[in-house]
Amino acid sequence: MASHKRKKITLLLGLILLGLIASCLAEYILHYSPYEQHLSLALQGPSFQHWLGTDVYGRDLLARTLAGAKLTIITALAVALLSALIGSCIGLFCGYRQGKAVTCLLRLADIFLSFPTMVFAIAVAGILGGGTFNAAAAITAVTWPKYTRLVRNLVSPLRREYYIEAAQMSGFTTGQILFQQILPEVIGPVFITAALDLGTIITEIAGLSFLGLGAAPPAAEWGSMMSSSRLYMQTAPWTVFVPGAAIVITVALFQLLADSLRDFFDTKLVR
Amino acid sequence: MGKYIGRRLLQLIPIVFGVTFISFLLMHLAVTDTVDVLYEQQSGANAAAAAAKRAALGLDQGFFTQYCHWLWQVLHGDMGQSFVTSLPVSTTMLSKLPATLELMLLALFLTLLISLPLGTLAAIRKGSIWDQLARLLSFTGNALPDFLFALILLYFFAVKWHFFSFLTPTADRSPLLPALPLAFAMTAKYLRQIRALLLDELSKEYVQALLCRGLPYHYVLTHYVFRAVAAPLLALLALSAASLLGGSAIVETIFLWDGVGKLAVDAIMLRDYPIIQAYMIWMSALYVLFNLAADIICAYVDPRLTLRKKED
Amino acid sequence: MKLKQLLALPVALLLVFSLNGCGTVTAPAATGKVFHYGTMAYGPAMQNASTDPHDTYCGWSTVRYGVGETLFKFDDQMGLRPWLARSYEQVDDYTIKIKLRDDVVFSNGKKMTGEAVKACLEDLLARNDRAPHDLKIDAMTADGQTLTIRSHEKMPDFINYLADPYSAIIDVDAGIHDRIAIGTGPYKAVRVDDQGLHLVKNENYWGPVKPKLDEVLVYSIPDGNTLTLAMQSGELDAVQGLPYASLPAFEKNGAYRILSSPTSRVYQAAMNYDTPALQDQRVRQAICLAIDKDNFVSVLLRGNGLVAAGPFPDTFPFGQGVQGPAYDLERAKELLREAGYTHTDRDGYVTKDGQPLTLRWLTYTSRQELPLLAEYAQASLKKAGIKVDVNATDNYKDFLKRGAYDIYAQAIVTAPTGDPGYYFMSKIYSGQPYNNGHYSSPVSDALIDRLNNTFDRQERFRLAREIGQQIVNDDAVFYASFLKMSVVMKKNVTGFAPHPCDYYEITPELDIH
Repeated sequence: MASHKRKKITLLLGLILLGLIASCLAEYILHYSPYEQHLSLALQGPSFQHWLGTDVYGRDLLARTLAGAKLTIITALAVALLSALIGSCIGLFCGYRQGKAVTCLLRLADIFLSFPTMVFAIAVAGILGGGTFNAAAAITAVTWPKYTRLVRNLVSPLRREYYIEAAQMSGFTTGQILFQQILPEVIGPVFITAALDLGTIITEIAGLSFLGLGAAPPAAEWGSMMSSSRLYMQTAPWTVFVPGAAIVITVALFQLLADSLRDFFDTKLVR
Repeated sequence: MGKYIGRRLLQLIPIVFGVTFISFLLMHLAVTDTVDVLYEQQSGANAAAAAAKRAALGLDQGFFTQYCHWLWQVLHGDMGQSFVTSLPVSTTMLSKLPATLELMLLALFLTLLISLPLGTLAAIRKGSIWDQLARLLSFTGNALPDFLFALILLYFFAVKWHFFSFLTPTADRSPLLPALPLAFAMTAKYLRQIRALLLDELSKEYVQALLCRGLPYHYVLTHYVFRAVAAPLLALLALSAASLLGGSAIVETIFLWDGVGKLAVDAIMLRDYPIIQAYMIWMSALYVLFNLAADIICAYVDPRLTLRKKED
Repeated sequence: MKLKQLLALPVALLLVFSLNGCGTVTAPAATGKVFHYGTMAYGPAMQNASTDPHDTYCGWSTVRYGVGETLFKFDDQMGLRPWLARSYEQVDDYTIKIKLRDDVVFSNGKKMTGEAVKACLEDLLARNDRAPHDLKIDAMTADGQTLTIRSHEKMPDFINYLADPYSAIIDVDAGIHDRIAIGTGPYKAVRVDDQGLHLVKNENYWGPVKPKLDEVLVYSIPDGNTLTLAMQSGELDAVQGLPYASLPAFEKNGAYRILSSPTSRVYQAAMNYDTPALQDQRVRQAICLAIDKDNFVSVLLRGNGLVAAGPFPDTFPFGQGVQGPAYDLERAKELLREAGYTHTDRDGYVTKDGQPLTLRWLTYTSRQELPLLAEYAQASLKKAGIKVDVNATDNYKDFLKRGAYDIYAQAIVTAPTGDPGYYFMSKIYSGQPYNNGHYSSPVSDALIDRLNNTFDRQERFRLAREIGQQIVNDDAVFYASFLKMSVVMKKNVTGFAPHPCDYYEITPELDIH
């Protein structure tokens, strides 16, 4: 049973890795640059030369979509993992301890949670300028409190569990208890939420790109590829649906991976 | 109980204060203000006109003076006037809120309508066709930007089938079509969450014990398992409801739905501080109230939780 | 298993909701001829969601949708013609005497007299933020149908400002109620809100051509995709502002007609003279030479533009004859070599003293053509060896204010008042706040000074052409193309055409058959 699951995880990881490698090597495999413009070939449908068609600048969509995997996936992963890390650490602390500091942190999380992403993104772009990095920073700033709440709600009831009290009495330090006893209990939900968030993050970056606050041109970032070609949805639908399909496949892969990881680490869940 | 609610409502004060202050600060950190935006928009006007306008709006004052002035006004029940349209902020907000409320509540309802039964099926029939369907829905709903789904819907329902009219004013129009893309995106999340929560609960020993005692499966499901997952589900729902009621600028723009989401994004783009601030108050109040409501409902549904315990 | 029952309830509820949806999809009750018009150019974000011409930019809506009219108007060649006025006379450099028509009445039946116009202009000066700074009016006297205006500065283009939408004549005594002003136009507003306007025929209309439609409904549709779908659904009779990408869908379809007109909205890129590299004219010239405008217009704008040589289109009297350099990549490379960029680095970018030539191209996305121009320029200049970092953000004003750009590309209406003076004064004259390139040339400045003191129209046009040529010779601004404004209408619509100045949309001639 376990070996079957291990195989599945390996397969999924392999697929993701393969995608990333293909993304890095796209230019060499395809003989098309994802960035070079050929205006005479603009908006051509899928053909033998251009399998997935070309965009408004006559760039090969397959090359661009492959090249975009790197930027899109890594940015989204970074945002998801960073938010999860920051949010979970604060959540662990808030769930385990009590007092003024915890209240303050929770209020802070509340403030950020009720903050619309746009307000943040515009302010960040206004101060630091647009670009992928700043868009990612803005999204991270409003995503982390979700993990704080999640983790805190998971940790709070554990505080009174016997095995935690036992650990406290046998002289474990707070750090040891948090990371050795409590963390394994909450890491599953955190991972699943992060995997779920991946799609949201990609679409959020797309939304910001649409306002010129995301990836800067000519970067091949899926979200911005989609939003910048949405006007061609009727006349050249491939310009929108190719990056769209790439996002769906990526999100699917990561969610399947999250599922498998969860099943692997937590075999008792199998029914 | 009353005391508890009062105490929770008091939390609204620091949150509203913090949110409005931070948003005010963030908007001022941007180098440009309303006057720059407005005058640059229509190929510019001369400096004297801009300076006069700035003075009229109070933008020539320092940051703290401006914030204190705004706060003082609000404490006297006056939300001020929009910098752009000069109309009172309170009437502008109130005229757009009903449309957003209608749309979002329907979206929330649709979400639960689809995700509760389907999520349950996916959990109790793990690996079945329902489970696969739930997965597929959650992949696509999670990955596709709402504008894409909205435009596809419009293409079929408005252009092909004439089911949706662009000409009907928002107030007389059914919110069903615009609610679908919002519900679709949310359903994607809820399906996964409900499935995961149920699977977790079903694997617990007490469920096995109850089944062994000979209780029927659906009885255990409805009387024990659902009650147990209600609390985390409601907490989640409170969060989504609060953020949903802030409106969705993209869906509102595409469906010509006259709501607060678009109002807020326009205001942010135009640096219309009074509108932004009013919007921030609305958002933080929603957030606090929904969380409070969720906690109260949880306490009724799941007797293991008491309000006192969750207070901190 | 009660699962079936569990599922049945939601399905029933869903049915109820969708039926509710069917019931409410009904078009507004139509009485007589109703014209449904979708536009991208109306809305609170454009500051024109009212018909009160004295409020910010709302005058555009007053004039565009046939509610109000101005004393003078532009013809198709941007020549000035009397409208509510009969004629005018320049008494001296500071005084102008306007004779008003005798037969004009407001939509409430009241006669438009000299007193009424005076009261309206006084209200304009009191309430509008820009008018007092544009018009510089000292005193006004009304005598019957004659209005005499004195300005405190020489105003050779005073009449042009009286054709600006904010100068629309309304009955100020009637006041403004719910954003509705009483004008003299062929239609009168009955409902004005953020979503659009509801107009009905003005039975008292004074003009020789009487309005032919009973009702006009204007819808604000700010999203290009939605506008396209709304037109395709057949619910609208005409639309303004469709994205180019959507036009092919209507070109192929015999049920629609597309009309377009070149406007003075130019896509221009100002070179920032504060950037050391751009202080060298050879570098500026190389940039202008390396971007192929013809290709940009024919491919990226799908032919919906007019290649620009100078700041005004060739079709305008003050735009004719300005000559710009043709696309020449080899010459551009040569110029860069002459300017000292003799080496190239690994990525193919030219370097001077080991430093690659990198330029920050600032632009915004709210005009669909600008990001296209930016990406096209980026790829074109790369061929010449110049590295361009595009910053296309709707936050661009922050960067402008900080000076964080080398080239600023924008869309700008260069002749909003039908006169060249305005553009030169605001964008080209030394030290002006909207002179984003910080261009400062004694030659141009002297010419602009002369323009400001010239009252003869032909001489003004000649001077304007000379200044335009001077800017192009200095390579201070790269003029890419002019917007060709297109309107799409159903085949049965007549009397609807785009106008080069973008002011007049709903006219008495408009009809549906």
